[in-house]
Amino acid sequence: MASRVPRVPRVFLAPLVAALLAACQPAATGTATPASTTSSASSSALAAVYPLTLTDDAGNEVTLAADPQRIVSLAPSNTEIVCAVGACDELVGVTDFDDYPPQIADVEDVVVGAQVDVEKVVAAEPDLVLAAGNGLTPDDVIAQMDDLGLTVMVLYPETIDEIYADIQLVGAAVDESAAATAEVERMRGEIAAIGGAVAGADAPRVFYEVSIFEGQIYTAGADSFLASMIALAGGDPITGDAVTTSIGQEELVAADPQVILLGDAAYDPSITPASVAARPGWAEVAAVADERVVVMAEDLVITRPGPRITEGLAALARAIHPEAFTD
Amino acid sequence: MRATATAPTTAALRPLVGGPSVTRTAGVLGGGALLVLAALVVAVGLGTSELAGPWDAAAILAHRMGLPVPVTWSPGAEQIVWELRLPRAVTALVVGGGLATAGVVFQALLRNPLADPYVIGTAAGASLGAVAGLMIPTLVPALAVGVGTAWLGIGLAQVMAFVGGLGSVLLVYAVARSGGRVPVVTLLLVGYAISSVLAAATALLMFFSGNRLGAIFGWLMGSLGGASWSDLALATPLVVVAGAVLLLRWRRLNLLLLGDGPAANLGLDVEREKLLLTGLATLATSAAVAVAGTIGFVGLVVPHLLRLALGPDHRLLLPASALGGAALLALADTGARLAGGVPVGIVTALLGAPFFLVLLRRTRAIGR
Repeated sequence: MASRVPRVPRVFLAPLVAALLAACQPAATGTATPASTTSSASSSALAAVYPLTLTDDAGNEVTLAADPQRIVSLAPSNTEIVCAVGACDELVGVTDFDDYPPQIADVEDVVVGAQVDVEKVVAAEPDLVLAAGNGLTPDDVIAQMDDLGLTVMVLYPETIDEIYADIQLVGAAVDESAAATAEVERMRGEIAAIGGAVAGADAPRVFYEVSIFEGQIYTAGADSFLASMIALAGGDPITGDAVTTSIGQEELVAADPQVILLGDAAYDPSITPASVAARPGWAEVAAVADERVVVMAEDLVITRPGPRITEGLAALARAIHPEAFTD
Repeated sequence: MRATATAPTTAALRPLVGGPSVTRTAGVLGGGALLVLAALVVAVGLGTSELAGPWDAAAILAHRMGLPVPVTWSPGAEQIVWELRLPRAVTALVVGGGLATAGVVFQALLRNPLADPYVIGTAAGASLGAVAGLMIPTLVPALAVGVGTAWLGIGLAQVMAFVGGLGSVLLVYAVARSGGRVPVVTLLLVGYAISSVLAAATALLMFFSGNRLGAIFGWLMGSLGGASWSDLALATPLVVVAGAVLLLRWRRLNLLLLGDGPAANLGLDVEREKLLLTGLATLATSAAVAVAGTIGFVGLVVPHLLRLALGPDHRLLLPASALGGAALLALADTGARLAGGVPVGIVTALLGAPFFLVLLRRTRAIGR
C-alpha cells in the first residue's frame, strides 16, 4: 500500500513531485469557469497521474497509489474541504463533531470525544486518512496509523492562504483539482469583496472572547489565525499570549477594546452583553460604554479553518463594521 | 517475643519453617495464570469495530500461530487483531503485572499500607519527564523533527518519562540517606516533598502547554492508546527482568516486614537490600509508566486485595499480585476501549476502588 516516503529519497523525489504537481494544476489560475467545476471535466482534461506524491502540511511526502475512493477525515475542517472539492461521497469516516455538510450525518464516527478510535479507522479500510496538525490529531496516533500502513495526510492551515493551499492539496489528492480551483476562486472573490467593503474605515480595537473560565480569559493568540481574521475584517485585534492564548484581566481593560465579540456566547447562553457589562471593572471599557458587545453565533465558522471561513469572515466584518454592510 | 508479635510478623516468619503448601501455591498461581489467559482472550476478542468479532479474533490468532484455519476475514480485521488489540492487551498485562509487583515491594519495604509504586517520586518524576517530552517539540521547533517523533522507535515522551521516574527516585534516595542509612519514614517524607516540587513544575508546564493540554492530560490519566509492538519490545524486558529478580527475593521481603532492626539481627544487610529492592521496583515502575502513563490504583490495591485473600507471605503474594495486576489491567483497558477510549486510569479507579471498599468491609466483618 501507499505509505510515507522515508526522509532520504526526498531529494530525489522533489523534481518528480514538482512535475506531477504541475501536471495536475490547471493551465492558468483565475480562468476557471463555472462549467469546468464538475468532476468529469477535471478527470478527462486534467486527470492526475497515480501513483501521486504530495507534500502535506507536516512536511511529509505522501504517496497515493491510486485515486482515493475511501477517505477518513479526522477533523471537521478536513471534512468540509473534502466535500467542497466534490468528494463528499468518498468519506467513510468522520468525527462526532462533524456537522457540515448535512449529508455526512450517516458516515461512521471514527473520532469520538476527541479520541481517535484507530480500530474504527482501520475497519473503515481507508485509502486516504486526512489528519489534523498541531496536536489536534495526537502525534502518537499519526505515528501509529503510519506504522499500520495507512496513507496519512496532515492538514494544518494557519492562514487563509494555507486554507487555499490545503483545498488545492486535497483536490490534487482526490483528482478534483478543477473543483478545488473553482472553490478557491469563490473564496478569493468573497474575501476580496469583504476587504473592499471595510477598506478605508478606521480599524477599531477588537477583543474576541474565545472562552472565560475561572477568571482566566482566552482570546486570539498573537499571530494566530483568529487574529489575522479580525485584521482582515477591518479590526485591530487585541491578542493574548501566543501559546496559551490567554490574556490578563488588567491587560485587557488597559487595552480598552472598542468592540467585544463573544465567541463563547455561541455555546453558553449565560454569556450575554449584559453579563459582560456586569463583570467587575468592565463597565468603563469603551465597547461596553458604547454598547458594542456582540454575540458571535457564527463562532464555529470563524474558528474552523475550512471553506466556510468566508462566512465567518463576513460575520466578523459585519460585527466590526456594521456601517459598511447596509443591505 | 512470639506472644507479642503481630499477625503479619508471625505470618512472615512462617516461610522460614514451611511456607505455603505445594497444592495451595499451584492452585493460586494456576488460577491466576488462567485468569490472565481469560483476560487476554476477552481483550483481543472485543473491540469497537464489527469487522473483527470474537470468533474472527480467535481464528486470526490460531492462524498466526500456524494452525490450518481457513481465512474468512478481511486484511483489516487481521490488522486490528494483530497490530492493535494484541499489542495493547499484552502491554496491559506487562504494565499491570509490573505495577502490582512493584506495589507489593514498596508496601513491604516502606511498611506502609498507603505505599504504591509511585509513592517515593516515580510518578511525579515520570510525569514531569513526559510532559516536558510532549512539549519540547512545541517549545523548540528545531527538535520536533526526528526527536519528537521517534527515538529508537519510541517517542521522546516515553524516554523522558522513564528517565524522570528513575532519576527522581535516585534523587529522593540520595537526599533521604544520612550516615549510611535510609530510614523508611525519612524516605517517605523526602519522597513527598520532592514529588510536590516536581508536580508543581509539571503544573507550570501544563499551564503554558496550550493545545498540548489534551495529550498531556491523557498521559497523566494513564492510557494504553498508542501501544505497539515496538513500545513493548523496550518495556517488557525491563519489567520482566526486574519482576523476576524481585520474585526471587521473597524471603528478604518477608524479613523486612519485621522491621529494619530485627531483619538486620537475622543476618540481612538491610540497607543494601533496601537499595536493591527500591532500584528494581522503580525500574519496573518507570518502564511501565513510560509506555502507559501514570495508571493509578493497580499498584496500590491489587497487593492489598491479594494480601487480604492470601496472607502476607511474599512467596505467594508476589507472583499472585503480578498475575492479578496483569489480568485486572487487561480487563479494565478493554472496558476503557469499549467506553470510547477513556483513559484506563479512570476505569481502574472508578470500578476498582468501590470493589476494594466492599471487600475491605466484608473482611473486617468476618474478623470481628
